[in-house]
Amino acid sequence: MERQFNAEIESLKLGEGETFHGEGILAVTKALLQSGVSYVGGYQGAPVSHLLDVMVQARDYMDELGVHVEACTNEASAAAMLGASINYPARGAVTWKSIVGTNVASDALTHVASAGVIGGALIVVGEDYGEGASVAQERTHAVALKSSMWMLDPRPNLATIVNLVERGFELSEASNTPVFMDLRIRACHVHGSFRAGANRAPALSTRKLLADPAVFDYEHLPHPPATYRQEKLKMGVRLPAARKYIREHRLNELFAGSENSVGIICQGGLYNNLLRALNLVGLADDFGASRIPILALNVVYPLVPEEINEFCAGKTAVLVVEEGQPEFIEQDIATTLRRADIQTKLHGKDMLVMAGEYSSEVIVHGLLRFCAAHAPHLDTSDGTRWHESADAARARAAELLGTPLPPRPPNFCVGCPERPVFAAIKLVEREIGKRHISADIGCHSFATFAPFSLGNSILGYGMSLASGAGVAPMLAGRSMAIMGDGGFWHNGFLSGVASNQLNGGDKVLLIMKNGYTSATGTQDLVSSPGGSEELAQDRSPVRAERTIENTLRGAGVKWLRNVYSYRVADMTKTLREAFTTDEPGLKVIIAEGECQLERQRRIRPVLARLLGSGARVTRTRFGVDDATCSGDHSCIRLSGCPSLTLKASSDPLKVDPVAHVNHSCVGCGLCGEVAHAAILCPSFYRAEVVQNPNAWDRYLARLRSTVIGWLQPA
Amino acid sequence: METELTQRPITILIAALGGEGGGVLADWIIAAATAEDYPVQSTSIPGVAQRTGATTYYIELFPVRAAELQGRRPVMTLAPAPADIDVMLASELLEAGRALQNGYVTPERTTLIASTHRIYTVEEKIALGDGRYDSERILAAAKALAKRAILTDFHKLAANTGAMINAALFGALAGSGILPLPRAACEEAIRSAGKGAEASLRGFSLGYAAAEGKAAPAAGLSTDVDAPADTDIPEAFLAERMRKDFPTEVQEMLAQGVARVTAFQDRAYAVLYLDRLEPIAKLDQARPGAEKSKLTRETARFLALWMSYEDVIRVADLKSRRSRFERVRTEVQAKPGEPVNIVEYLKPGVEEAAALLPPALSRRLVAWAEKRGLMHKLNVGLYVKTSSVTGFLMLRLLAALRPLRRMSARYVEEQALIERWLAAIAAAPDPELALEIALCGRLIKGYGDTNRRAKANFLRIFDTLVDGTTVTGPMERAKAVRAAREGALADPEGRGLEATLATHGIAPLPPQPKIIQFMRRPGAKRKAA
Repeated sequence: MERQFNAEIESLKLGEGETFHGEGILAVTKALLQSGVSYVGGYQGAPVSHLLDVMVQARDYMDELGVHVEACTNEASAAAMLGASINYPARGAVTWKSIVGTNVASDALTHVASAGVIGGALIVVGEDYGEGASVAQERTHAVALKSSMWMLDPRPNLATIVNLVERGFELSEASNTPVFMDLRIRACHVHGSFRAGANRAPALSTRKLLADPAVFDYEHLPHPPATYRQEKLKMGVRLPAARKYIREHRLNELFAGSENSVGIICQGGLYNNLLRALNLVGLADDFGASRIPILALNVVYPLVPEEINEFCAGKTAVLVVEEGQPEFIEQDIATTLRRADIQTKLHGKDMLVMAGEYSSEVIVHGLLRFCAAHAPHLDTSDGTRWHESADAARARAAELLGTPLPPRPPNFCVGCPERPVFAAIKLVEREIGKRHISADIGCHSFATFAPFSLGNSILGYGMSLASGAGVAPMLAGRSMAIMGDGGFWHNGFLSGVASNQLNGGDKVLLIMKNGYTSATGTQDLVSSPGGSEELAQDRSPVRAERTIENTLRGAGVKWLRNVYSYRVADMTKTLREAFTTDEPGLKVIIAEGECQLERQRRIRPVLARLLGSGARVTRTRFGVDDATCSGDHSCIRLSGCPSLTLKASSDPLKVDPVAHVNHSCVGCGLCGEVAHAAILCPSFYRAEVVQNPNAWDRYLARLRSTVIGWLQPA
Repeated sequence: METELTQRPITILIAALGGEGGGVLADWIIAAATAEDYPVQSTSIPGVAQRTGATTYYIELFPVRAAELQGRRPVMTLAPAPADIDVMLASELLEAGRALQNGYVTPERTTLIASTHRIYTVEEKIALGDGRYDSERILAAAKALAKRAILTDFHKLAANTGAMINAALFGALAGSGILPLPRAACEEAIRSAGKGAEASLRGFSLGYAAAEGKAAPAAGLSTDVDAPADTDIPEAFLAERMRKDFPTEVQEMLAQGVARVTAFQDRAYAVLYLDRLEPIAKLDQARPGAEKSKLTRETARFLALWMSYEDVIRVADLKSRRSRFERVRTEVQAKPGEPVNIVEYLKPGVEEAAALLPPALSRRLVAWAEKRGLMHKLNVGLYVKTSSVTGFLMLRLLAALRPLRRMSARYVEEQALIERWLAAIAAAPDPELALEIALCGRLIKGYGDTNRRAKANFLRIFDTLVDGTTVTGPMERAKAVRAAREGALADPEGRGLEATLATHGIAPLPPQPKIIQFMRRPGAKRKAA
């Protein structure tokens, strides 16, 4: 795993009254233990990876408490874990990145929600929305609505988040309904503190086993007529129970203000941004005292009509601050007010933008419009001034800079084994023309950025091969799907390979076998290479691992090639063959090369130890001769390695910068391989620095320098 | 005691690239502030951007100790707002520029602490010519927009101490005096974080001094240029001729050029170089352009580069020189006493062989290879160990072919094209046009396919705009040549060039013939149920 959580594991063990310092998502982890969960599962992905990663690393402590932790192979298997709470009074939590993970999980979620739970079930979703998001922009809220699952959106401070986790389990049990806890990216990564409680060993656990399974109960199964009764229960029993619990336990928070003719209703998660916006406009201080009353909804579904009506009654107008679209909460409030015949004017998306993240700046715009319309007596000139100075700063910067700055999207790491594969694809396309490429989720999707710009579509994690099923029959040239080993196990094998085998599809599938789910923090897969010390320094340890190959063979794949990623010429040849062979059926190329992040993490301490003990260690670095580099940068267009960069030419005659390998080079050899495979130029060299040379090394070096010295010009 | 409500949270935005330790820097600030009992909060959006992409970390620190707040807790926001940032830290110059672009730096509030080094984006690196964003513009904007700007090469500063850049930036933040955190508290935060603390403390210390203005934080650009290669002093008679026949402004360029072509071939070749330049210099003096002697200087530059085209002989020579061996040692940071093996990646083929043969033989070889489709098939991938005696001797042997170069096909071909270029410069009716034609020399570069593409672009511009008559009027032609040259440098497929030519109504070249692959298409055979 990319990150070690030793210190964080210790903070999970804090007792009653001690202060927890740390990240939001780890506070949730701690809160789960305080709530006495029996089981935890999930699938990694920013921004919630750490929840599960820390628990996986804290396996010993979890065993001590009796908590079962499962690193699931996808969100569907995680969601299905919640089935335990249908039949047993056991609390459980699962986590993933949303909206994408929720989509994958939704089949199981539908059934858990319909059957209902007797043990508290919490689904912690990282809402990947707005700046920093890496998925399609949709709301998880919609899933909560259609499945009648409740949704928490706590104010983004650790104490509130932790409290809501604990209350969430109670709400779930009080209403027999699974509950979503929706956390935005920044809330997951917020660093703060809270007063910890003691961890509770679960009542049912790996240490307290049940003698008998649950009795058979047809009412929990998704068959008619039970399903009809379950739907009625949702609206007739569970919803009122939830509202009662929410109201009685004051999960939503009312912040009074002096300007009672107006009010703001916001999602709890937006409370801090709203407060900063009010502060910028001059209507709130830094401690949360706002002149306009605020109803912060820590539970965004279901709303409690009485709370809404009480807040709105007697006010001229209310502004709903609700991020994302469509405006579910605003619509819900409108219905509530209309039914109660409350004539308060309702604003929201008419004054705030429909789509996109609600930053303080966006909210300030809305507040200025709202105040101008309904509270013109309030002095909001601070907001106007601030807004103008922000615009002025941007305008002045644009003027001074002249041209917009080039973007800096993420890229393959230095020495990444996936980069050479895309270099090979580029080279093959020069020969046989462009091909339709179905891309996938994972680090390899960085190939959609320059310099490769490869990939016609991305349809979800592990969906590349499946998404080519309709395309391939229409194209003259054979098409290709690319997926990682992460995608293969997440969904790719079943949705892609099995379906292709059933239908006799004629496609090329390229699997990046780097050993881990690298994009999410190098978590383990069923096919991750085992051991660590004995894994050779030079060879890729993923080579010995054959689970993917055996699985493919078992599914009837005949044409299967394993190619070491860094051999660009071999990969080019294999790709050419895959695209042009007469052999029918699926052509699978497995590009082997261990994730360089994981490899470096593994070998660095080994090498340091060897060096320290005086052992002979060869360090490999690549370089470019700037005297022979002509500054055309063809090599960079075929590589894009961060360590292959530019520098001003030391040759005063040359005007263009030359290629240059900087000190971050890990010696993977791609630049040399590309220069060879593409017949680029003779400027690349490999330098092997012999550290701690032995007597023979020293003798040879002396001999060589003497002989060469006789003949060498300056 | 009543707390003054005039206090506002101090807002700190950190712009960093994935893998630079921006998260650790945020953690240090949090740890130091927490130890001093100041309410503090940080957030980030690392996600997938941690893979070398641009990312930010945002911190708010309330400058009144929690104990003095009588139980009240400030509400701190999770996202930075423009015109609301007290300290903008940027670990790289372009990212500082991005902060400026997004309005995070304002003259009323913001102290900008930024490293002046550049880590080029892919977009900048893949340009065929020079795609680098102009750093001077970012520096100028930074100085104009920041209340206070602490600009220095923190990367170098840190590297010298073995620390990461985050330590130096933390030092500068502490040294800037904006946070109520004493130096000792910051250092303790680094120490208690453990790993690599000693190096980080050294980096911190230099950053601290830089912010205090003690360590000469020259607000200038960090240079990534090596010391220029030694230029041999030209022989006396050549030097004499240079002085006599050429203006003073071009002497430096000429010295470089003469040294280059002499090293490439011989003294006579240098004479040819000056012979070729002389008429251009005369023309330039008789009919000066906008900038004095620019035509002569630029022609001298590109003529020297062109005349010292990179063939096998030159590459072998350059790669086997002592200065090159030393450069590699420095480049790979080899310690004294550590042997360094140098392995070259060479892949000569028919083209390289043909280039060395006399024209008649060369033509026959190429014809034979093309007929059999072997032009690019016979390249042999060689890994030549230049640091071994045999590898070295092989390269020296190739370099020793120099006297025979004048008989080679490539030599004849290059000289003909050079003459065509020079003739066009001399014949240009206007100094601007002459200069634009001279600058087309920049297009000629590279090896193999790259060189062929470059020459094709060069010839396309010559055929259509220089010798062609589509665009009349010297000013229009000068403009058209410049646009075409820039177009040729826009993309490797020649789309940019054809697009600029199309604006003059020049029909684009017919598309390259595409190879069609025939293969059996298996029917959709379903498995029997």
